[in-house]
Amino acid sequence: MTYILKKKKINQVLKGWFKNYDVYAPQKVEDYSQFFRLTSADDLVLNEPHNTRFPPKALFLPQSESLLKYDRKINQLKEAIPTPKPRIIFGIRPCDAYAVTLLDTVFNTEEYSDPYWKTRRDATIIIGLGCSEPCQTCFCTTTGQGPFNPEGLDALMTELEDSYSIETFTEKGEKLFSDLLLASESQQRKAQEIQKKAVESMTPAFDTTNLKHNLDQIFDSDYWATISESCLGCGVCTFLCPTCFCFDIVDEVQRNERVRNWDTCMFRIYSQEASGHNPRPTRKERTRQRIMHKYSYWIDHIGEIGCTGCGRCVRFCPVGLDIRAMLRAANTFESETINA
Amino acid sequence: MSEIKGKLKSEIERLLREDIVDVVIAFRKEDSPLRPQPAFFRNTDELTNLEYNSLCQNNLANYLTRFPHDTRIGIVVRGCENRSVNALIVEKQHQRENLFLIGIPCHGIVDIKKIIKKTGEEVTEYSENQDEITVLVKGQKVTFPRKELLHDSCLRCVHPNPVDADVLLGDPLPEGDPSIARQAVKKIEAMDRDERYAWFQHETERCIRCYACREACPMCYCTECFVDHAAPRWVESDVSQGGMQAWHIIRAFHQTGRCTSCGACERACPMDIKLTYLTEKLNDDIREVYQFEAGMDRETQPPFASFNLDDKKRFVI
Repeated sequence: MTYILKKKKINQVLKGWFKNYDVYAPQKVEDYSQFFRLTSADDLVLNEPHNTRFPPKALFLPQSESLLKYDRKINQLKEAIPTPKPRIIFGIRPCDAYAVTLLDTVFNTEEYSDPYWKTRRDATIIIGLGCSEPCQTCFCTTTGQGPFNPEGLDALMTELEDSYSIETFTEKGEKLFSDLLLASESQQRKAQEIQKKAVESMTPAFDTTNLKHNLDQIFDSDYWATISESCLGCGVCTFLCPTCFCFDIVDEVQRNERVRNWDTCMFRIYSQEASGHNPRPTRKERTRQRIMHKYSYWIDHIGEIGCTGCGRCVRFCPVGLDIRAMLRAANTFESETINA
Repeated sequence: MSEIKGKLKSEIERLLREDIVDVVIAFRKEDSPLRPQPAFFRNTDELTNLEYNSLCQNNLANYLTRFPHDTRIGIVVRGCENRSVNALIVEKQHQRENLFLIGIPCHGIVDIKKIIKKTGEEVTEYSENQDEITVLVKGQKVTFPRKELLHDSCLRCVHPNPVDADVLLGDPLPEGDPSIARQAVKKIEAMDRDERYAWFQHETERCIRCYACREACPMCYCTECFVDHAAPRWVESDVSQGGMQAWHIIRAFHQTGRCTSCGACERACPMDIKLTYLTEKLNDDIREVYQFEAGMDRETQPPFASFNLDDKKRFVI
């Protein structure tokens, strides 16, 4: 169903949810926005032109989380599996919601189910906010979704002038909004026009038709040295990425705690072995891993590209590296070598 | 400004054509006009992509330590970059005779975050002169005074001119006012202890430990950083308060007498964390106590890296 939520009624709706749910929504920090639990409806920030800077994957896979606590004296340990209150994530962009479904294929499969991920996931309703004006750095239509992609969402909002039209896709989503007025036919038409216009405003950033094949072909080529030469080897692209999920588990012995931290293939120590050998010794191999994982290995595993086109890695790379330019170069690099 | 770019292009062409250097480290254009990239030119035909403007925000000296000492490198240096190169030479990270420094007196680096804050990120064109920056946003031209957009560390810059470049493109600029440079640190010094700690906590708690600050810094070239040391581990590696505060304090302390105030760390930070107030305080102390500024020449060891037998205070030896 499609409902209408007046902008001036948002606070009232949020306050209604506070009784039964923890509501997570974008809030302002310095000059950017980040998802936090809302304690006051006034802190909500929905007018940011793009997604939050810090990726909402952290609401399911926190950057650092305690896995278990132990007491060495009495030889006991206690798992720290979260018991979250029912949660609503409100105002997530479709690229980030779709990313959560990609991460489900890692943390919540029939074979392996991560209880830390699963308890949070099961307790969460996800309400998206579509992007009426996609940014220059966005490329979600290229990766196969789009600024109003419903995958991973229980409901999706489209901004109209003084209201949001809200399309519900699941029972959970329906339950949250069923008290609202239904959208009229003309309101629904208006929302569809906005959605169509947004999709049409985005031009393909690179050709994905043979991209995986092309990347696989140039695995051993000079391409990687060229594109990674200015790379600093920091963790900005991977930590801000909504689909990067690598982690490291460490014992914080002084706190008697086993902790899972985000890790990144862009760091030298990520692949450093105890012997001292490093199978990915330079930025070249590490950049290759990052790109190949997203655009080749994900396809091997689940048949989908592991990038949602959110644009964070493009916006925040300290040396201005642009994955879109890298992939265009990968497509042409192959043809150059074949011609040579 | 575009005049400088033309001169720079001819100079790089000359260095490569006459085989004076093997590679030139400069900047090149990318898709977005706001994000020029560090680039490595080895052939003159690659120079069509050359870029030089105030958006070139990285400290290129950072890349010197990636090359063997016998690589002949040409490198574009502004004031701070030249001092970083010198500081690296003092620490024997490259040989001066294998470097050719192409100096450019610097009008300051424009902070892309300040542009985006004012105009949004849909910038399709960028142009500049000494006093003004003009951007085209959604078809609209908007002009700002340069000072409004300069990065904070450039507003504090005292030495905009390269100190010992092999060639200087453009006329030298007047030196900056050291008392203005000190204002940012003075503001924090004036806080009481609790306020200062609250400031420090607010800045460190947003850290995501991506280490972009470290990787962007020319002086952070250790093969193994203290935070990466695994056996024994010296600092908590999670985003706990202890781990993050330790990182910020120790990172700054390792720069004592070595930091050239370029601000590359702060510009690299994805979480808008203020980093330079810590290093600026240390720089002030080093200036006051030892009358030393990093990188002003290529011989003097930083105070904390040197000792002599006549030292008045004998506690070290």
